Amino acid sequence: MTPLNFRRRPRAGFRLALLAGLALALAPAALPPQLQRAAPLLAGAQARQKQLRISAIPDQNPEKLNRLYGLVASELSRQLKVPVKYVPVTNYTAAVSAFRTGDLDLVWFGGLTGVQARLQKPGARVIAQRDIDASFHSVFIANTSARLKPLRNVKGLAELKGKRFTFGSESSTSGRLMPQHYLNQAGVKLRDFAGGAPGFSGSHDATIALVQSGAYQAGAVNEQVWKSNLRSGKADRRRVAVIWRTPGYPDYHWIAQPNLDQRFGKGFTSKLQKAFVGLRRSNPQQARILELFGAQKFIPAPVSQYAAIEKVGRQIGKIR
Amino acid sequence: MTAIPARSWRQLRLAPPLLPLLPALVWLPVLLMLPAVFHGGGWDLIGQFARAAFSPSLDPQVLGSALSGLGVTVGIALLGWALSLALGLLGGVLSSRTVWRTATGSALPAAWMRRLLAVPRAVHELLWGLLLLQLLGLQPVVAVLAITIPYAALVARVVSDLLDALPTKGLEALRLAGAPAGPALLTALGPALQPGVLSYGGYRLECSLRSATLLGVFGLGGLGTDLRLTLQSLQFHELWSGLWLLLLVMLALEALLRGLRRRWAMPARFGLTHRSVGRGGREVALGLLLLLPVLVVVAMALGVNPLQLGQLQPLPPWSADWPAVAALPWPSLIGSTLGLTLLAAALAVGSAPLLLLMMAPWPWGRVLMQAIWALGRLWPPPLTALLLLFVLQPGVLTAALALAFHNLGILGRLLLEAEESASVLAEEALGAAGTGPRLALLYGRFSVLARSYLAYGAYRADVILRETVVVGLVGAAGLGSLLLEALSSFAIDQLIALVAVYVVLTLVGEDLSDRLRRRLLAA
Amino acid sequence: MTSSPDRPPLELRAIQVPGRMAPRLMEVSLQLRPGERVALVGPSGAGKSTLLAVANGLLSPEAGEVLWNGVAPARSRRRRRRQQALIGTLWQDLRLIEELTVQQNLNAARLARWGWPRALLNLVLPLDTAANAAVLERVDLSALLLGQPVTALSGGQRQRLALARLLRQDPLLLLADEPLAHLDPRLARELLGLLLEQARGRRALLLSLHRPDLLDGFDRVVALRQGRVVLDASPSELTGSQLAALYRSEA
Repeated sequence: MTPLNFRRRPRAGFRLALLAGLALALAPAALPPQLQRAAPLLAGAQARQKQLRISAIPDQNPEKLNRLYGLVASELSRQLKVPVKYVPVTNYTAAVSAFRTGDLDLVWFGGLTGVQARLQKPGARVIAQRDIDASFHSVFIANTSARLKPLRNVKGLAELKGKRFTFGSESSTSGRLMPQHYLNQAGVKLRDFAGGAPGFSGSHDATIALVQSGAYQAGAVNEQVWKSNLRSGKADRRRVAVIWRTPGYPDYHWIAQPNLDQRFGKGFTSKLQKAFVGLRRSNPQQARILELFGAQKFIPAPVSQYAAIEKVGRQIGKIR
Repeated sequence: MTAIPARSWRQLRLAPPLLPLLPALVWLPVLLMLPAVFHGGGWDLIGQFARAAFSPSLDPQVLGSALSGLGVTVGIALLGWALSLALGLLGGVLSSRTVWRTATGSALPAAWMRRLLAVPRAVHELLWGLLLLQLLGLQPVVAVLAITIPYAALVARVVSDLLDALPTKGLEALRLAGAPAGPALLTALGPALQPGVLSYGGYRLECSLRSATLLGVFGLGGLGTDLRLTLQSLQFHELWSGLWLLLLVMLALEALLRGLRRRWAMPARFGLTHRSVGRGGREVALGLLLLLPVLVVVAMALGVNPLQLGQLQPLPPWSADWPAVAALPWPSLIGSTLGLTLLAAALAVGSAPLLLLMMAPWPWGRVLMQAIWALGRLWPPPLTALLLLFVLQPGVLTAALALAFHNLGILGRLLLEAEESASVLAEEALGAAGTGPRLALLYGRFSVLARSYLAYGAYRADVILRETVVVGLVGAAGLGSLLLEALSSFAIDQLIALVAVYVVLTLVGEDLSDRLRRRLLAA
Repeated sequence: MTSSPDRPPLELRAIQVPGRMAPRLMEVSLQLRPGERVALVGPSGAGKSTLLAVANGLLSPEAGEVLWNGVAPARSRRRRRRQQALIGTLWQDLRLIEELTVQQNLNAARLARWGWPRALLNLVLPLDTAANAAVLERVDLSALLLGQPVTALSGGQRQRLALARLLRQDPLLLLADEPLAHLDPRLARELLGLLLEQARGRRALLLSLHRPDLLDGFDRVVALRQGRVVLDASPSELTGSQLAALYRSEA
């Protein structure tokens, strides 16, 4: 019954498809200026000599990072009289690698990533830390439905066995390294969590949101980010609460490439340090920066304090 | 009357239509296991995510950032694809037995080339990307090269297979008539090679777009980066702005390639019949000519600078602790990686025909299914995995579901293509005799598709083995998890060992799947 | 569905099917009584295939009524399928499922009546061997072929298998669109003999063909020309000049 075998029209929509395809092929070519902005990571070596490229480990929501480091870039540029550009990176490891390969000049590292970066780039200079960083804290938070009571001491963390638990980034000091260190002290291994492994949410904001939603029953976050989430109302006390606060340890700090003086002129590194240490609450622009950093001021950071972090890093296997 | 053969267990034989459905049996244990890993804590989030699909953010800044991210992703995909095709063709010619035999009289160098090319192929593009990142720093070249290297090796293999499968009579005749090796090869094999290479080349572009997105998810630039960050910060409206844009581009690309494939009369991807060269030779040449300036402009826009290749950085300082590396729980790591691969492959290969069969009576169901498959192709598996973690516990099953969803999207489309090109006559006859649409599809059309679909499924299984590395973030998922952990600890000794194990596994897997495929197609 | 013995297995009333230039069927009415064997003749393009497609439900007419056993095509999918199960079609290209065995092909004719479990089991185990052997015997094929793949059969064996499959379906209405077109004379005669033999009891047969020399065994001959019924007579009444007029070109 040949009349009944309908064959499909082969050319239907071909022209449309061709047009779409052409548009597709030309799209990247049509937007070069935006592209450069969109691919800041990929910005080539062309401006390497003249520009100070700053970055930070992506520990919070990207839009907050953009706001904060945009301000930092313009403030540094104003004080130091050099073009400064904020280059976002997407994960902690990439920040360390890009620092080692010389693609980033000045990076806001965490305790662990800072040690990793200095080990990989001998001669790198620790520039400054916040007043809160010398004795920084993590908090263990839990969804209220998990019925976890506030713990009296580190041993209490054993309660977390069998719970769904998430860290922040794999390389986060406050979101992974130190919490895991204290979990070890309480005899909790990573495979003791529900599912045989903890989650890695990627950032502190994500950890809070995930624990609050119930996707994880508990998590470990940076105390400063936790407080700012409470203040902004993003964290809901009825659904998520702190169950334990860790003892203090040194954490975040600015690290600069060893060769900044050669590239930007003698004394540049110390000028950079002065610029940070000199940030004051009295100056409105600087006050906003300090506010976003959650700090009163920046202070010089003694390198020796990170020996403790390095030791814990080696114990846990994040430094080798 | 002749003797009627008695029924016995010996006669138990699976007929072809059942074969594609067989892997779907894995759903039985999966459904049994699912309640054990289901926690449902984040249902809210899943709901928010789904609702956000209908109200993506239209904020110009979000759209602008997504669009330019998309531009970078497409640019990387295009460059990586073009380079890999060029290098792959060269590699294919150099690893062809026919070519070497014609040129030197011995096919031995071809065998060596093939073995050499197996190594770059066995390493997933993500690993290439992360390794190159260490060597080259954050340069746009990294993502392009990460796609180029494994893809070129894949293309080379396919091209050499195509070359060696061509009849050599014409070539021999030319050689006997005294033609030199080069021109003889070009004249005798060039035109016959064209349709296969074009069809496969087009397919690689689709893959390249997916890979570029995935590389972005791991921070190597482009839209993938935005997708991951918005997902991790639970900004679902912004996430969907990017996803919808990516979907549009992907569907446009697929439509374009489908159109070109038809126009230039290329064989279907896993079709058994190879049609002869179409009349599109001149158009193809013109298209390639047009592509060149586009590529140059894209490279300039992305800031890809070939000179950067010369500026290799040393690896980070590392000390090898081989006894510690050897003491890693290798059997369980490899076991869970293989388990993950098989589970994901079975789920993906089996679900596509099962769903197609279930939707047979409902045209709208089919449309919905196709839409879901498109999303599966689109979403990089790590994003699916992160989403699944909202309601499932981490582990092999969760990782397998994420990988399976992605590959289901790819296999499903291939199955639909094959279904459309398979004859409808037997199915129509069954329908006219009152058979329901599902059984008519099963008996009438799955019979024809079964072997070639499964053969493709076998190939897909080894792609999945390579891909297990990308769902490492779901945790407890074998080598992939350890690999990501090793990367963030800069444990180079572990990295070397893990990559080596991956290479060996992939090569063994490739060999097994090749044998299976050959058996399926020969039967 | 109940079917009383006197209801016509097929009745077409004023069927209208539009075509691109001229209508493919115009006001065609036709009734097959139980057990009746009707030959459909006419030149190419006269509308024979269209009429058969309407008769087996693949094509719905624009106007007019189709009645199977006196009942119009059901709206409900399930009831419609039960109606279709009683219509057997012998396709010119046979439409056997090449990848399956003879046995599985024969059982495929029962799918409309079987549920999923048996339909799936048929793809794993030989089912209903006795019934299948019986239908093979009726078309002069050996039961030893049951386990063979269809691809192993000769051309003539395939024709017979297609017929055996129809018997296995056990329809009330047998339709065949030029089943003899590409067969050598001896095989054509044999197959036609088998087909005519199957239309017995209440089972009616409607068969389109080109060859006037094979019309003897039919009860009626219906001729189509340009989409209309131009002749409806018993073969013995049919004269050579009538046939000649039918096939004369329209120059």
